[in-house]
Amino acid sequence: MDIIKAKNIHRKFGTGELEFHILKGIDVTVEEGEFVAIMGKSGAGKSTLMYQLSVLDEPTEGEIIVNGIDVKKLNEKESTAFRLNTLGYVFQNYALVPDLSAEENVMLPLLMRGYLWSESKKMARTAIDGVGLEGKYNNLPAELSGGEQQRVSIARAVAGKPKILFADEPTANLDTASGTQVVDLITKLNREDGQTVVMVTHEREYAVDCDRVLHMEDGLVTMIETLK
Amino acid sequence: MRSLRIGFLLGFRQIQRANFWTTSLIIFVMMLTFLNLIAVSGVLVGLIAGAEVAVREKSIGDIIISANDDQERILETETFIRELEAFPEVVEYSVRYESGGLLEANYRERRDLTGERDVANIRVTGIDPLNEEAMTGLSTEVIEGDYLVPGEEGYILLGALYTEEYASNFGDIFETVSGVGPGDTVRLSNGKVSKEFIIKGIVQSKVDDVSLNSYIPDREFRRLFNRIDRNADQIVIRVSNPNKNSEVKEAMVASGLNDLAKIQTYEEGVPKFLTDIKNTFDVLGSFIGSIGLIVASITIFIIIFINALSRRQQIGILKGIGIDRTAIEIAYVLQAAFYALAGSALGALITYGFLVGYFQENPINFPFSDGILVAEPISTLYRFITLFFITLLAGFIPAWIIVKQNTLNSILGRK
Repeated sequence: MDIIKAKNIHRKFGTGELEFHILKGIDVTVEEGEFVAIMGKSGAGKSTLMYQLSVLDEPTEGEIIVNGIDVKKLNEKESTAFRLNTLGYVFQNYALVPDLSAEENVMLPLLMRGYLWSESKKMARTAIDGVGLEGKYNNLPAELSGGEQQRVSIARAVAGKPKILFADEPTANLDTASGTQVVDLITKLNREDGQTVVMVTHEREYAVDCDRVLHMEDGLVTMIETLK
Repeated sequence: MRSLRIGFLLGFRQIQRANFWTTSLIIFVMMLTFLNLIAVSGVLVGLIAGAEVAVREKSIGDIIISANDDQERILETETFIRELEAFPEVVEYSVRYESGGLLEANYRERRDLTGERDVANIRVTGIDPLNEEAMTGLSTEVIEGDYLVPGEEGYILLGALYTEEYASNFGDIFETVSGVGPGDTVRLSNGKVSKEFIIKGIVQSKVDDVSLNSYIPDREFRRLFNRIDRNADQIVIRVSNPNKNSEVKEAMVASGLNDLAKIQTYEEGVPKFLTDIKNTFDVLGSFIGSIGLIVASITIFIIIFINALSRRQQIGILKGIGIDRTAIEIAYVLQAAFYALAGSALGALITYGFLVGYFQENPINFPFSDGILVAEPISTLYRFITLFFITLLAGFIPAWIIVKQNTLNSILGRK
C-alpha cells in the first residue's frame, strides 16, 4: 500500500528572469514499510523533493497524498499538526534544542501530542535506549558527540511511532564510523519495526541497505534502482 | 494547554541555561526601570507630600477650626475650648488670634522725619506659647534668639521672611524691615494703636505660614487688636490617631460645635494649591516614568528579538517537528515575564526595604519642604502591572515576528 503518492511535482523559486525550476515534474510513490533513498549530486533537487514529501514545503504544481491526506489542502496549523502526528524528521545538523536535555528533546513532540509528562518521559527513555544512549538522558546536546546527538535526533523522530521517517542527509556532519552507526540504526528501525523511511543522501555506501534508490539529476528522477 | 506546557518547558530551560551575567544585566535594567517608574514620581510627589507633612505638623494640625462663613471669628471660643477638652482623642491644641499689623523698625535712629520709614505690613498671630509649642514645636523653628517665655510680655517672634536679611533671596516679593535681629526694638501698630516689642527670636520654616508670620503672646494680642470678646480666629488640633481625624470631626459636629465654628479635617483644610501641585507632579512623574517604560520595552524587544533571531533555525525546526507556534511564542513571552518579575521584585525590595525608610530618615532638603519618597503600595502595584504587561508585549512581538516566518526558510536560514 502506497503511503506516499506524489504526481507531477514541480517546485519553482523566484519569478521572471530569476525563476529557478528546481523540481520539473516528479512522480514518486513510497510503500508502507519501505526504505527509500534519494540520491544525487548537489543541486539535483533531492532535499527539495524531500521537503515536498515531508510537508515542510508546498509544491508549485502537482499533487501529494501522504497517509491518505492531500497535504496541499492543509493550512499552516493543520500541516504542523499533521507533521507532529504522522511524520518524524532527522535533520543533517541534528536540530536539537540546546537548552533541553536529551530526554527533554525527545519528550518535546510527545508532550505536544498530549502525552502526560510521566508517559512522555517513559517513552523518551525507551527511544533513547533504543538508539544505544542508555544513561545519557540528562545530558545536554553540547555534552554529546555529533553521532550521539544525531542518535538523540532519531530517538526524537521515532519516539512517537510516526508513519514515515524522513532523514535529510543524516550523516552529512558525521565521521564515517558515526555515519555508519546512524544509518545502521535507521536501517534497523526499518527492518525490525517496519518503519517507513525516506532518506536523502549523496553517499552510495549509506544507501546499500535501502529497498529502492531514486536517482535525481537536474530536478528529475532519472533512475529508480530497486535493491531489495 | 499543551502549548502552554511546551512553552513553559522551553522558556524555563532557556532562562535556566542562559548566561548568568547577561541575565543579571537584563534584570538590572528592569530593576532600574522599575525604580525609575516608582522613584521619579515618588520623589516628585514626595516633595509635595513633605510640604503637606510640614504644614500638618507645623501649622494646621489634624483638625482645623475656623470661623463659620457667616462669622468673623470662632463664636464662644472659651466654651468651644471647654467642649474640645472633653474629647479624649484631642491630644494638643493651640488657639490662635490673627490679624494684620504694621511693623516698623529703626525708627529710633531715623533722623529725617520726612524720609521713608522702615515699615512692613505683617501678619500677627497671638498664641499661648506653651500650647503652640506643644502643638507645633514652634521653638524648633527659631533660628536666631529664643522662643517666647510664658507670662513674659513685650516680646515678638518675627518670621524670617519679614527681615531683609533672610528675604533677600526672594527678591522684592515680601515686605521687609532691615537690619533687625534678636534684642532690637520694633513697633507694631494696629491703626492708631501701637506697642513696642523686643524681637525675641527669628523664626524660619519650610512652611510659609511660619516664616511669613509673627507671634506675640495672646494676651498682648487681644489688647493691641482690641479683642475683648476673646473669640479666636483659629484653633488647630492634634488628635491621638491622625488617620481617624475625620471620626473626631464627626463627633465634634455631632455635639453641635459646628454651630460655633467651621470644623475641617486636615485633608479638607489643606491649601488647595498643595493638592493641585501634588496631582500635577504625580502626572509629571508618571510621564517621566513612562519614558523609562518605553526604554525598558525597547530593551526587552531587542533582547527577545536578538534571542529569537539567533534561534531562528531552531524555531523553524521546532515548527518542522510539529511544535505549535503558540508554544514557541509563549517560551519567549515567559522569558520577558521573568525579566519583568525579577527586576520588579528587586526594585520593590530596594524601594520598600531601603529607599522609603532612608528618605523618611534623611529627607531631601528642598527649599520649601523636606522631600520624602512616596511609594504607595497600590500605585506601585498599578505601575508594576503596567510594566509587566508592556514587557510581555515587548517580548511577544519579536517572538511573533520570527515565529511567523516560513518554516522551511527558517530551517534553511533563507530570507
